Amino acid sequence: MLLCVENLHVHYGAIHALKGISFSVDRGEIVTLIGANGAGKSTVLRTISGLIRPTDGTMSYWAPGAGGTASAGNTDRTGGARGAHRADAADGAAGRQVNLCSLPAHKLVDLGISQVPEGRRIFPNLTVIDNLELGAYLRRDKAEIKKDFDTVFELFPRLKERRLQAAGTLSGGEQQMLAMGRGLMSRPNLLLLDEPSMGLAPLLVKEIFQVIRRINQSGTAILLVEQNASMALGVARRAYVLETGSIALEGSASELAKDPRVQAAYLGSA
Amino acid sequence: MVIQQLVNGLALGSVYALIALGYTMVYGIIRLINFAHGDIFMLGAYYGYFAITMFNIPFALALPLTMVLAAVTGMAVERLAYKPLRQAPRIASLITAIGVSLLLQNLGLKFFEARPRPYPRIMRTVVWDLGGVVVSNVQLIMLALAIALMVLISLIVYRTKIGKAMRAVSFDKDAARLMGIDADMVISITFALGSALAAAGGMLVGFYYNRISPTMGSMYGLKAFVAAVVGGIGIVPGAMLGGLIMGVAEVFVIAFVSSMLKDAIAFAILIVILLFKPAGLLGRAVREKV
Amino acid sequence: MTEAKAVDAKRAGGKAVDTTRLARVAVTLGGLAAGYVLVVGLHRAEILINDYYLQILIWVGINVIMGVSLNLINGFTGQFSLGHAGFMAIGAYVAASMTKLMGMPFALSLAAGGIAAAAGGLVVGIPTLRLAGDYLAIATLGFGEIIRVIILNLDVVGGPRGLPGIPAHTTFLWVYVIAAATVVVVRNLIWSRQGRALVAIREDETAAETMGVDTTRSKIMAFVVGAFFAGVAGGLYAHKITFIDPSQFDFMKSIEALVIIVLGGLGSITGTVMAAFVVTFLPEILRAFADYRMIIYSLMLILMMLYRPRGLMGTAEFSFRQLGLGDRRPAPDKGGQRAGRSDGPPPVLETRGVCMDFGGLRAVSDFSMTLRQGELVGLIGPNGAGKTTVFNMLTGLAEATSGRVCFMGEDITRRRPSEINDMGVARTFQNIRLFSNLSVLDNVRIAFRGERLYSMTEALLRAGRYATQEEQIYGKSMEFLRLFGLDDRASEIAGKLPYGAQRRLEMARALATKPKLLLLDEPAAGMNPQETQELLELIRWIHERFDLTVLLIEHDMSLVMKLCQRIIVLDYGVTIADGAPAEIVKNRRVIEAYLGEEAV
Repeated sequence: MLLCVENLHVHYGAIHALKGISFSVDRGEIVTLIGANGAGKSTVLRTISGLIRPTDGTMSYWAPGAGGTASAGNTDRTGGARGAHRADAADGAAGRQVNLCSLPAHKLVDLGISQVPEGRRIFPNLTVIDNLELGAYLRRDKAEIKKDFDTVFELFPRLKERRLQAAGTLSGGEQQMLAMGRGLMSRPNLLLLDEPSMGLAPLLVKEIFQVIRRINQSGTAILLVEQNASMALGVARRAYVLETGSIALEGSASELAKDPRVQAAYLGSA
Repeated sequence: MVIQQLVNGLALGSVYALIALGYTMVYGIIRLINFAHGDIFMLGAYYGYFAITMFNIPFALALPLTMVLAAVTGMAVERLAYKPLRQAPRIASLITAIGVSLLLQNLGLKFFEARPRPYPRIMRTVVWDLGGVVVSNVQLIMLALAIALMVLISLIVYRTKIGKAMRAVSFDKDAARLMGIDADMVISITFALGSALAAAGGMLVGFYYNRISPTMGSMYGLKAFVAAVVGGIGIVPGAMLGGLIMGVAEVFVIAFVSSMLKDAIAFAILIVILLFKPAGLLGRAVREKV
Repeated sequence: MTEAKAVDAKRAGGKAVDTTRLARVAVTLGGLAAGYVLVVGLHRAEILINDYYLQILIWVGINVIMGVSLNLINGFTGQFSLGHAGFMAIGAYVAASMTKLMGMPFALSLAAGGIAAAAGGLVVGIPTLRLAGDYLAIATLGFGEIIRVIILNLDVVGGPRGLPGIPAHTTFLWVYVIAAATVVVVRNLIWSRQGRALVAIREDETAAETMGVDTTRSKIMAFVVGAFFAGVAGGLYAHKITFIDPSQFDFMKSIEALVIIVLGGLGSITGTVMAAFVVTFLPEILRAFADYRMIIYSLMLILMMLYRPRGLMGTAEFSFRQLGLGDRRPAPDKGGQRAGRSDGPPPVLETRGVCMDFGGLRAVSDFSMTLRQGELVGLIGPNGAGKTTVFNMLTGLAEATSGRVCFMGEDITRRRPSEINDMGVARTFQNIRLFSNLSVLDNVRIAFRGERLYSMTEALLRAGRYATQEEQIYGKSMEFLRLFGLDDRASEIAGKLPYGAQRRLEMARALATKPKLLLLDEPAAGMNPQETQELLELIRWIHERFDLTVLLIEHDMSLVMKLCQRIIVLDYGVTIADGAPAEIVKNRRVIEAYLGEEAV
């Protein structure tokens, strides 16, 4: 178990945005939250990240074992495989359970949670490299950071070409790649992806989702919020359908993709 | 004659630039016009004054000490008066800032007395005549110090990690927090740096014009604020450019037009900029997302 | 109800309104007269109010005028002006010059002072009201200082030495009458259709503009009226203090007025009056702490913003309702409602080659589309495809970098939103933009359209067409609310409604502007299938009932498929398909871009 959310309630003033939702993410798996606009998907991620405070419910996260923090540059964290693979606490080793509800947003990166926000939100006046560096803000292990630059550039060769360009001049697709690369620079255990396909041309969406698969293959768990239900269900192991703040359906991704209700509402068959 | 006034203008302008930097950094990071900033400048002048006269601290130590004290003052103001209002409508923060400004000014009037005080002489004034242009060592030191501080601030903002964090927070506070940046701390540091610079400006003004008073913050503050807007509020090099422009403009108006209009010129420049290029000389207009 | 009875009921209702109005006028005049008599009586009898306190009451009155006039600009219209002292200065100097230097009668001088200040308000307002928020504040601050410095350099009125020996014409009676008049006039302005426009601007300027409010004109109007009264206050001030110099009208003076309105509550006239009393008497109360007076004052300001930023009254007002003299509303007319129907050739929305560039990014490429009268068309595409940008260009919130947008044959590419709305285009927004702090009813009333609506003079004097038209506006607005199931929530605050109701209210408001073309931006966002079904029926119904052409952005494919006769698909700013729903679902490009492979 990596992340466990139970009975989460969020209010925007009088508006009851999340009405007691529960879901979980296990180590190394891709879980997706799909649903229509306004259903509350982004609210979920923003609440986990600490940008919004929940009004009720619990969010528990199992941080990696003692000493395995993002900023320590610890030996725990240098897995042999490409990308990051944290020392696993699942086999009973000491991992600590953290309550995310009261944690300020900037503490999450330290715990190994990284979010790629909706609309990318890269820093337009900074270069590609600067943006990526900011992703590694808390880290001090210079050599490893350099390795991670290489990893990101390998995942996204286009970023390497443009590494000294101001991020604001990149196209939408390239900005999305940059945002994801930036999110990876902190070597997260859990990557929160908020609508990565938004505003992207179909071919790029395919690329992005291939990258998502690769990231997951190197051990990072992913909580993916998506409007593009078909792509999301194609890459995830498990899925939840969010409708006006409540979970309407849940199950394995392949089951849900075949579910006629899901097909009608989110897969476009009239 | 013109060169002479240019020299004088640059000296004054460098002070405006130092103060303007504080306005611009704070506005850039939390979109607040810190009306109280000019009074931090005033407090800086007084901290220095008392350090030298009452505690006999040499200038070389008094300056950094003053800057540190002012930094602490600025951070305290931010924590107590501005931070609680971060989510409140803008007008609330503006009014609070006005309130803090009034408070500091009147505390100054009460405890420092309203009478202007002469600044202690710390060095012999030496004056050089370079082909008709009179330059004093005080002016040179002022310019040198101001430039040194501006270079320092630029280095911090553009070359250090914390500077990068400051810029990130000013672009997008939430995205920065998602990077692990403690936005609150970054904001405090911004206030600290801005206040320190203003305080340095205060001491320099004390030496240059030789008198300080608790109400000196208003005019200097207002004009430095105009300087920040002229250069492009939120933009660090803009504040420096704006400051120099304001200094030169003011000195020229006094010398060639009328000293009665010296305050008006600042506001006239302000109006012109706001009407024709509200984002400032170095600024870029931001569009509202519908 | 038979025809005759209906007419009778209407007449009876009308009469009831008339007597209420009469009663209110009587109460107002009576109350004011009583107040005056009381104060003067006590003074004469030397009980409680001695000469000294009478003088203070005069200052209270002047502060009331300054406060109320500033509240009109800052509190009700939401324009943060920091240069009010400048207008006061103009009024003071003009009035003083006229009485002292030209020997004019007092009343005339006061009026002249007010008018001069109003002119100043126009000169300052026109350039600065383009700016918003902080920039506006700074600009007004700057202008206030410039005015002061100009006076400083006018030797004819004494320059820095000031103008002494002004005749002491200001008496309690003058101040009382003028202060009362100010309160009544501003109140009448606020509670009228012009005033509603001002408040709408404060709430959401963009939404107000798209609902047909000419925001520039309204803002300038508020500015000018506020400046006028500040000028009159200046004249009264000058003739009380008998010596004026420019330093009296500095930034601090503007701050004093600001403190009054913030303390009383931005947006509450009652609060301002109360605060004027408090602020004027405060120096007296704090006399014991004379030394610390300003320190306490500024501390109060800070503490107030930290703990009670809404001030004494917030936006609450003392109203006639509390005296049992509230508006008695006749039952709203249940007759049919027809939206504007055009005569002549079928109206068309046509765009040709419309492009939108943001910096280096081409958000919309070559968007060409034709909408015929009565069509119900959907605009779909992935997020970021440019759909809302298209809407913004159609409604004047964004100007196309190239291409043309024509509505009913007229080029609207560069028109402002309020004009476009006047011509018959209305919209709703992706992130609901209601006037959240206003009532449900007010949200719709602001949008109300009609023929030859009453003028501002009629509003201020509560004369002429005011009463009958206000009834009409009320009645028609309630009708709209009923059509959308919101009439029982008419007096609720819009921001507190549940999500679905807010969306319906936004649609009701848009329809109240009597459009021929309705643009709906993701109306089903956040709705569950049940609500979406209801929405579908609602849109179908209004499409027919109001004889509209509808263009709809939506992501909910089931809604789009069932509702739209035609679908346009946008991807990455480019139109990739335009046709009947059945065709669109089979279109290869559309499937790849948007629907997904599984849909086939």
